[in-house]
Formats: sequence, structure tokens, C-alpha cells
Amino acid sequence: MHRLCSLSDLTPGEGLRVDSVAPPVAVFLAEDGTVHAIDDTCTHQDASLAEGWLEDGAVECPLHESRFCLRSGVPDGGPARGAVRVHRAEVVDGEVLVELSTAAPCLPPGVVSA
Amino acid sequence: MIIEQLEEPLPGSILPTLGGSWYTDPDVFALEQERIFSTQWMCVLRGDDLPAAGDYRLVQVGREQVVVSRNRRGEIRAFLNVCRHRGMRVCTEPAGTARKFQCGYHAWTYDLDGKLVAAPNLTKMPDVDRDAYGLRGVAVQEWMGYVWVCLAPEPPSFTGTVLGDLVTRLGEAETFDAWQVADLRLGKRIAYDVHANWKLIIENFMECYHCATIHPELTEVIPEFADGWAAQTYVGRGAEFGDGVEGFTVDGSAGVTPLPLLTADQERRYFAVTIKPTVFVNMVPDHVVVHRMFPTAVDRTYVECDWLFLPEVVEAGTDVSRSVELFDRVNRQDFEACERTQPAMSSVAYADGGSLVPAEHHIEAFHAWVREQLG
Repeated sequence: MHRLCSLSDLTPGEGLRVDSVAPPVAVFLAEDGTVHAIDDTCTHQDASLAEGWLEDGAVECPLHESRFCLRSGVPDGGPARGAVRVHRAEVVDGEVLVELSTAAPCLPPGVVSA
Repeated sequence: MIIEQLEEPLPGSILPTLGGSWYTDPDVFALEQERIFSTQWMCVLRGDDLPAAGDYRLVQVGREQVVVSRNRRGEIRAFLNVCRHRGMRVCTEPAGTARKFQCGYHAWTYDLDGKLVAAPNLTKMPDVDRDAYGLRGVAVQEWMGYVWVCLAPEPPSFTGTVLGDLVTRLGEAETFDAWQVADLRLGKRIAYDVHANWKLIIENFMECYHCATIHPELTEVIPEFADGWAAQTYVGRGAEFGDGVEGFTVDGSAGVTPLPLLTADQERRYFAVTIKPTVFVNMVPDHVVVHRMFPTAVDRTYVECDWLFLPEVVEAGTDVSRSVELFDRVNRQDFEACERTQPAMSSVAYADGGSLVPAEHHIEAFHAWVREQLG
């Protein structure tokens, strides 16, 4: 498990970009208190999903409004076709830990993972 | 020869107005935009106009177009509507609901707090400070249920300016609390596109020498206006309703549910306050009328007028049309007078201005204030 951040670093309803891992991960604290981690980079064009609008278990990319499900990573509408990877996240003693997906990341043109 | 006589000091009855060019010269208006509308607290909209997170409206303040919006935490924010990349208007609709503000040119994207959050390839430009390249913020205050903005980097004291005008008229700011203006609800809004300089509208609002001539309905309800002395020449005193008048309505019939906190000397009376530079507030026993002016050119002023009532009155769908019609008629009568005055401002007959009679002498303080602001 990787430690990404502390729970106290997160704001309910908002995301946090963590770039200590490659490619960067977006961590969200949903309004219902659950914590989610997905790849931060939109699969359509280079944009940080952590800055997107979080609502109803999905985050809307701030650039072109593809909505990615936080549980499946699959985009619903908008120009993005590929899914972002979902990383299993849990909170232990106030720290956000994730098990990083071993699947190959789906990154937009011009973005490399390392 | 008459002109020569007027150059001599007169024995007190007549004071001069501003000269005609103050109402027609685009350079004067440009200075006013810079030194008045861009430095003072300007009342732009009612907080209820933005009920939900992401709601926004565009307003004109001085030379600037300002986006006023509500963020996810419910707080009001205001920004200049200029993309920090290449300057395109970021918001292009006059009002709407947004999850972000995205420029339609290169997709620079700002969150509801104005921070730059996305742009094509932005993650490859880590040196770009997201706050420094955010939308340029504008100072915001909420008072009286309205959003006030100030373009100045260091705004003047709200207490000293806005509340100062209230104290000048009412004697003390706390007196105003009885009308509970922040708690009232919008019953009706009417917009007027007035082809006149904003100062003509202020001057008109400040005096009642014209009331008996152009406001028959208002003078029926408040007969004392027929003597020409305005509510705005007194401190802390409202103008009394006439005998037999039941309410502040177009025909003097009863109004709606009265505001519950008014004291005996506030009932059956009409109070009026001018908050410089562009706000008028009229208070009567069952409602409050708020005018916001948006000067758009030296000879043009957009005015929005709100009629505010108790929430239960608005929620019940009570008929407020007779209340609204009284001041709507007053507005149309006043603005028609201002529009017939504006074309004469460029006449040689008005080059040195006109006359203020004793019932209008208090307008001189407004002229002194304008001169002082323009330096």
C-alpha cells in the first residue's frame, strides 16, 4: 500500500492531486465521507481531474466535461473514450493508503507515465 | 442682460447647478467612471439573485464587466470578466449556472473562486501560479440583502461611505434595522433604460420641488410633497401619509402585511435615502423599494428597481400590483423628465448651469461631493 496523503489534507467535495507517484493520482473525499483514488490525468487531453466538479460519485473533467465514475473509472459523456485507472483506497489512522492499480494507464496524447 | 445679472451674487434664493457639460462631456463621464464608479462600493444585485452554488450574473461597474457568482461554500465572489491568457470574455451569457468559468478561446478554466484550475497542457507548466493567473478578484460586501462590489484595490470603509449616507439621512444607522431589508423578498423587479446622465436622476430623486407637477398619484398619498420639500431635506423624519390614505399604493388603498418592527414614528410615513453614488432606498410601512443605477454612457443609465415585501407576502402570491404601480409610475414620470432635460444640457442656455431653489439647496452637497471625487 502507498500512503498518498492524510485525511486532513482533503476537503469534502473536492479532489487533491498527488504527484509523488507516476502518473499522478487524484484523491477525492466525497460528501458521503468515502475516499476515492483514480488516475489524475484525463484520458482525452492533459488536465487534472482533481480540479474537476465532484458530484454523485463522478468527477467532471474541468477542461471538456467528460464525467469519470470514481468506482469504475469509466467516462460517461464528453470527448474522453478511455477509462482512468481506479486505485483501491482506505483510510488507516487518518492516513490515505492506496493499492496502486497494476493495469497500464490510459493517458492522453503527449503525456507519458514516468 | 439677464445673464449679466446672474453673474452677480443673488440674495440667497438661488444656488447654481453644475454646468451643462457635466452632463454631456464624455471626458467628464470617463473621469467619473475612473474616480467614482471604480472607487466606491457599488450595489450590483440582490443576494437572492444567486440562490445556488455556481449561479452567476454579469454586471457593469465603471468601465468593467464583472462576474458576480456564488461558490460551492455558498460565498459570493466577484471577478473581472477577462481571461488572464489572451483577454477574451470568459462569461458570455448575462446570467447562468456554472461549475467552472471556462474561456471559449483556449479553454483556460477557472473554478468558482476564480483560481486557474485547468488549461490545455497546464500540467506541463508547473511554474504557472494558479492563483496569480486566476481571474482578477473584486472586493465584495453583503449588506441589506444586496451584493456590493468595489473595484479599488483598497476599498473605502463600508461603514464610512455606504452606512455614512444612511446616518446622514436617518440620524443613526440602527434606525434602518426596523425595515429588515435583508430579510425581505423580491416581489417585483422592473428595469428602465433611461436616456439621461446619472446625475440628473440623482438630483431628481433628491428633491420634491417637482412632485406636485409630475407626480399626481404620489402627492395624493403624501400631500405634504405639494409644498416642494423632500423627505431628503430632513434628518430622521419621514413624510406623512395624507388623512384617509390607507397605504402606499397607486390609489391610496390598503397595502399588504406591514413590517412588524416599525416604531410609531415610522408608520404611515415614507422615508427616502440616497446612497452615493447609485442607490436609492425608499421605505414605507409594508415594503421597501431599492433602485440600483448602472451608468453606461454620459447620456444613458440603466436602472433596476426592486420592490421588497415580507417573505410571507411573496410566498403567498399576494397581489402587490397596486403597491408596485405607485412607484413604477413615479419612476416613469421622473425618468421622462430626466430624458427631456438631457438634450438641453448641451444648450448654450445651460452652459453655466441652472438654478437650485431653497427646497433643492441640499443637492449642492451632492455636487460638491462629485467635484471632490473628480479632483
